[in-house]
Amino acid sequence: MNKLLLTAVVGVFVWTSIYAQEKITVKGSDTMVILAQRWAERYMSANKNVVIQVTGGGSGTGISALINGTTDICNSSRPMKPAERDKLKQRFGTRGIEIKCAQDGLSIYVHESNPVTELTLPQIKDIYTGKITNWKDVGGPNERIVLYSRENNSGTYVYFKDNVLNGDDFAATAQNMPGTASVVNAVAKDKNGIGYGGAAYGKGIRELKVRKDASSQAYAPTRETITSGVYPISRYLFMYIKNRPTGIMKEYIDWILGDEGQSVVNEVGYFPIR
Amino acid sequence: MPDSCKGLSLRSFTTTKGQTLYISAILRVGAMVMYISTMTLAQQAEQDSSLRDEVEHLKAVVEGLQESSTEYQGIVEQLRKIKISGYMQTQFRWTDVNGTLSPFSGGNFPTNSNKVFQVRRGRIKINYDNVLTQFVLQFDAVPAGFSIKDAFLSITDPWMQSFGLQIGVFDRPFGYEISFSSNMREAPERSRMFQTLFPGERDLGAKLFFAPQLGDLTWLRADVGIFNGTGANANEFDSFKDVIGRVGAQFPFEDIGAEIDVGVSGYFGNVRNNTKYLWETGEVFPGVRGFVVDSALSNLGDGVARRYMGVDAQFYYDVPYIGGLALRAEYITGKQPGGSELIAATASSGRSQTTVSPASQPTGPLYLRKFAGWYVNLVQNIGNAHQVMAKYDVYDPNTEVGKGELFESSNLSAADLKYSTLGFGYAYHWDGNIKFILYYEIVKNETVTPVSGTSATLSPYFKDVRDNVLTFRIQYRFPF
Repeated sequence: MNKLLLTAVVGVFVWTSIYAQEKITVKGSDTMVILAQRWAERYMSANKNVVIQVTGGGSGTGISALINGTTDICNSSRPMKPAERDKLKQRFGTRGIEIKCAQDGLSIYVHESNPVTELTLPQIKDIYTGKITNWKDVGGPNERIVLYSRENNSGTYVYFKDNVLNGDDFAATAQNMPGTASVVNAVAKDKNGIGYGGAAYGKGIRELKVRKDASSQAYAPTRETITSGVYPISRYLFMYIKNRPTGIMKEYIDWILGDEGQSVVNEVGYFPIR
Repeated sequence: MPDSCKGLSLRSFTTTKGQTLYISAILRVGAMVMYISTMTLAQQAEQDSSLRDEVEHLKAVVEGLQESSTEYQGIVEQLRKIKISGYMQTQFRWTDVNGTLSPFSGGNFPTNSNKVFQVRRGRIKINYDNVLTQFVLQFDAVPAGFSIKDAFLSITDPWMQSFGLQIGVFDRPFGYEISFSSNMREAPERSRMFQTLFPGERDLGAKLFFAPQLGDLTWLRADVGIFNGTGANANEFDSFKDVIGRVGAQFPFEDIGAEIDVGVSGYFGNVRNNTKYLWETGEVFPGVRGFVVDSALSNLGDGVARRYMGVDAQFYYDVPYIGGLALRAEYITGKQPGGSELIAATASSGRSQTTVSPASQPTGPLYLRKFAGWYVNLVQNIGNAHQVMAKYDVYDPNTEVGKGELFESSNLSAADLKYSTLGFGYAYHWDGNIKFILYYEIVKNETVTPVSGTSATLSPYFKDVRDNVLTFRIQYRFPF
């Protein structure tokens, strides 16, 4: 009887060791969702015992999920705010771990037929706050400017608002799209449209060069200008976790920061951190 | 006519009957085909025109929908700024004996009961968050009553997004525990010193804050405000306004997964004396300390100093393989004017009954005490769902009267007793919404030397009163 019991216990142990799957949940930035999915697919194909579940929802949603313990990794296209970090400390007694995992330039998209080739940051601000409403005021045709933006739970929205609009409100006419891909699609179909989003989504439409101000040089969002920091709207993409990673989580994060993970960053159209 | 032509003419126009019928048939078919073609073309043209109309119509509809969609998006965007959240704390409490006075552990027990069910808090918070401006309204609805907890607006500067103004009813900017939300806190109640000095935590007033969310100064936060000093109610009773402020800094040690946060707070206020009597600690008899009265006429209507100084520190450490550890401590000292509930305004002698900050004009004489209080709180997270915690808090409302010196003949009372509370417990986070807390508090009071003639209000403190409390709480919070 004892032998039978021992055999059963050992059998269950061996079976669970072999077949048990470890699960990692990832939630947050829509800008990073394709990148995170590619990482997950690539990693899972080489590690059959790991299940990585990736969902978007926006950086704010991801950070809330991290604070409430409903995700293991939060993707964010903006740094965590002090008030959010305070909540994490209150709930988990930890300040969280910030991992810079890629670099991104926030591109300004226009329809490919639009003759405008560059804008200054103040012009972009005036366009998105509704002070400039016609393309002719920035060297384009005499047409109304149609604004495409992101929803306010998006890190891209927050980053754009903080760093380009300097905290001012978007014009009421700005149409809020659920993801950067939607912004790109909308601009591609609208010859008077303008949108913003990650460089990775910039295919099929034209990206404008951006000047910091009227007297500065204009830069296109390229690998060189973004990684060197001269492109005026560049940023890091982050992953946040509650505790110092151990086990499978550590292996996954190490893999992302390693050669293979960073090559995925390149493939998706962002820029590696090293 | 030449012959050749005649021949042709004859060949052309001379036909048999069958040939005539054949040609006639062909002509009829041709005419029919032409007719049908003409009809088809006409129909096609009509259809094309109809299709064009339909396309134009659909285009107009789509444009209309686009316009509506833009309008609705604007409305949805506005609605998204309205955030509604809330939490409810239901609990069962069990103490040693019926009728235990337990005002600092969730409330007094009924005279003939030592076990009660309670809805401790039922909060609904409405926040209109316009990023740089905010409107906040929070209610507390429990069987015991309905009250407004927060009602304020906040404006942040659009240039640096660091400076701001907040005005209305909100947490007083003093120390750490006041602003540590009840739905996040592990111990069911705040420390005795905070419940005494800042009942309800909030006050009516305005404050300026410096709280950068971006840049190099995110480690710093400063708040300073001016308040009624009467708590969250609107019962302002004097012209004295209280200044309260805190400066806090955060020092992360990312390499070792730790952080130390520190803060310094100050409270500079006054409480109006409704009588000419002000009691302060002194020698009642040679070598015997107690309350002595100052009866100067100038005391009437004068402001009695309410002064607190506090320091707080929080240490966070990410314990490998276990989870985050939080060690929080706070110390407050100062002067606290306390009212006398049972003494008439004209009385020149008597004893204070409370050291809790007054929410309305104390009708009797004021009693000014030097006080000190502190707490240490340790919380260890185990994984995502489990927390174990311990807390030790001490509040001495009258530091100038030592152990063994508390006699009614010295005009002292139960309000001068020093208390310590050791609490420990366990919290389980079922999911993002539900949390269970099991918490036990061992409450120790300073004992009074038995003297004959001691009143019934003080004699129970000849020994430690049996007032330990076990709390089992279930909290539901939304959204996540």
